[in-house]
Amino acid sequence: MAEHEAIIERMRDSILEADDDEAVAAAEAALAAGMDPLAALEAGFSEPIRELGEAFNRLEIFLPQLVLSARTMQAGLKVLERALTTAAREAARKGVVVIGTVEGDIHDIGKTIVVAMLRSAGYEVHDLGTDVPLPQFINVAEQTHADIIGMSALLSTTMLRQRDLLELLQLKGIRDKYFVIVGGAPATQAWADSIGANAFARDAHEAVLCLNARARNVTSRA
Amino acid sequence: MPLTAPLRILTEDQIQAIHQAALGLLQRTGIVVKEARARRYFRQAGASVDESSGRVRLPPDVVEAALKLAPDSFVVHARVPDRSVEVSYRRMHVEPMIGRLNILDHLTHQRRRTSLQDVANLVRVADALEHYHLLHSGAIMPSIEGVPLHAAHAHGYLASVSNTGKVVKGSPRGRAIAEDCIRMAAVVAGGEDALRQRPNIFTTVNPVTPLQHDEGQTEGLIEYASFGLPIDVTSEPQAGATSPVTLAGLLAQQTADVISGITLAQLVRPGTPVWYGTCGAIMDMKVGRIALGAVEAGLINAASAQIAAFYGIPCRGTGSTTDSKALDMQAGYEKAITLFMAALGGINCLFYPGTMESALTISLESLVVDHELCGMAYRALRGIQVNADTLAAPLIEAVGPGGNFLGERHTLKFLRQEQFLPTLSNRQTREDWAERTGSATTWDQAHTEVERILATHTPPPLDPQVQTELERIVREVEARGAVARALA
Repeated sequence: MAEHEAIIERMRDSILEADDDEAVAAAEAALAAGMDPLAALEAGFSEPIRELGEAFNRLEIFLPQLVLSARTMQAGLKVLERALTTAAREAARKGVVVIGTVEGDIHDIGKTIVVAMLRSAGYEVHDLGTDVPLPQFINVAEQTHADIIGMSALLSTTMLRQRDLLELLQLKGIRDKYFVIVGGAPATQAWADSIGANAFARDAHEAVLCLNARARNVTSRA
Repeated sequence: MPLTAPLRILTEDQIQAIHQAALGLLQRTGIVVKEARARRYFRQAGASVDESSGRVRLPPDVVEAALKLAPDSFVVHARVPDRSVEVSYRRMHVEPMIGRLNILDHLTHQRRRTSLQDVANLVRVADALEHYHLLHSGAIMPSIEGVPLHAAHAHGYLASVSNTGKVVKGSPRGRAIAEDCIRMAAVVAGGEDALRQRPNIFTTVNPVTPLQHDEGQTEGLIEYASFGLPIDVTSEPQAGATSPVTLAGLLAQQTADVISGITLAQLVRPGTPVWYGTCGAIMDMKVGRIALGAVEAGLINAASAQIAAFYGIPCRGTGSTTDSKALDMQAGYEKAITLFMAALGGINCLFYPGTMESALTISLESLVVDHELCGMAYRALRGIQVNADTLAAPLIEAVGPGGNFLGERHTLKFLRQEQFLPTLSNRQTREDWAERTGSATTWDQAHTEVERILATHTPPPLDPQVQTELERIVREVEARGAVARALA
């Protein structure tokens, strides 16, 4: 067990130090030592990244540390995922999010923060980047079996695309498959309500709280 | 009065190193140019252009030749002639902010969306304040509360130009919007030829840093440049987020963004008047948001002014910025630091007075407070004159040891040029302050001044025919949107 604890410690440190290579090596060591991949993931990667997310929210650490550590976790996660059963993989993730900045808008700083925070909170996030055409949101969401679509827009002109995506989902008859959350400087709760989005989040922290509330809801209903 | 910029952040060698780094970026990394006509201009000038990615790599000689074509001074003509602005890299003018998504309501103190009436009020107040010269306007706003989105620029321009005799800014956001603004400015100027002869409108084009020129604004740049209208090409890097965290790296990247835009303007029409523009700042890494009131923004502005002066091009920068949500002490010190570093650093067009909350919000009271700061900055820039009259040795001798200067003609004669007379700062005793002003705070004083201006100031009216024609264009732009919706 001491060996297992040492490996968990290595995994934790790799996240806190944002050392991608060490995360991969520690994850491989965990599998070689016959550890349960789901338990290793939770204690070695999920817990420290969650701590970092909370520390960032308390203004105790700097954003680049969170972004880099979230990326390190992605690297280590890839190793463990190979060993996870489908059921375990489902259990490990709180939700699959497809996220992007809508077509015509090329700003992505805010979204980058949201992505890092969501990953640190345990979500599988597919970041489509900026200037994303509407069909791409839907294609990737379908391919990755996502349950959440997040859209950012920085201008009141490009914000209209958020409404267009919801209309497109309706047209395709798949609106109910997705929890749609919108954000960005011009967006408001009233806007989200008016276009029929499921949620609006002012910032990254609120996005995490909102999706966590949804996850609890889904679990309790299941 | 020519400007002497006493604040030097960079040495000549450092400016040269930043310039060379920027040229290297443009040559090796290149820029992404999303507008096809712009890529054609660059290709014809000798740049290597990859059509599939939009990547344009610029040889240094193309950039340096274009920079030489940009004038070191030019005039932007106001419709009231004595409000015209002679832009030069040796003078400072101030551009207050007008159009922001939000306004801090001056009666309720609550933040709300900015309406067309707010735009009119903001412009009217800016029209009344002497240190404001080039006015940002409602034309730039992507949206105005209560106005159809597709016609916001036309409504915003009319609400602005009809409330001031000063120069009013137009929008570059896409070809159609740029054309509308230029068309309206031509009506004010008395026709397109008059507009070309006497530009009365200017605009801002923002490269999307790092190293991108988007489609809409580049279309706008081409429209304004083809009329020879002044353009400030302004990069908005946030250190650590959209640029290297090191300010030297930020300046190199910003310079590459800006001089590639200036190169395009000169390729479209040699001699197009331009500003080298910065809205550089840092990201606060604990909250993940831009910090426009940061001391580093002051450093970036002063350094940018030196880089622009190296090119012999006027510099547009930011000052009087704050991240505070209230007009409180944070607002006061951030505004003072950023404004003074920019002004003493040699910024020629000082933009952003009137803003708060990282420029997400505008306020009438902030316009008045910042105007007072601008007055102090002008006083600081005038420096100290040293000559026989000002040294006043005979006077000191005449007054003699232990005397005073209150009764001297010399005092009365030089008082106004030596001392800035504030309109808001209270320097009375505590008792007088309490009795005569009711212990008024800065906000109270500014609010009273806003009310006074709105009640008493009448901007020079537009010629009735011009007014009618502008109103017709606004209706036409509105109808065009209705047609587009019907066809969609």
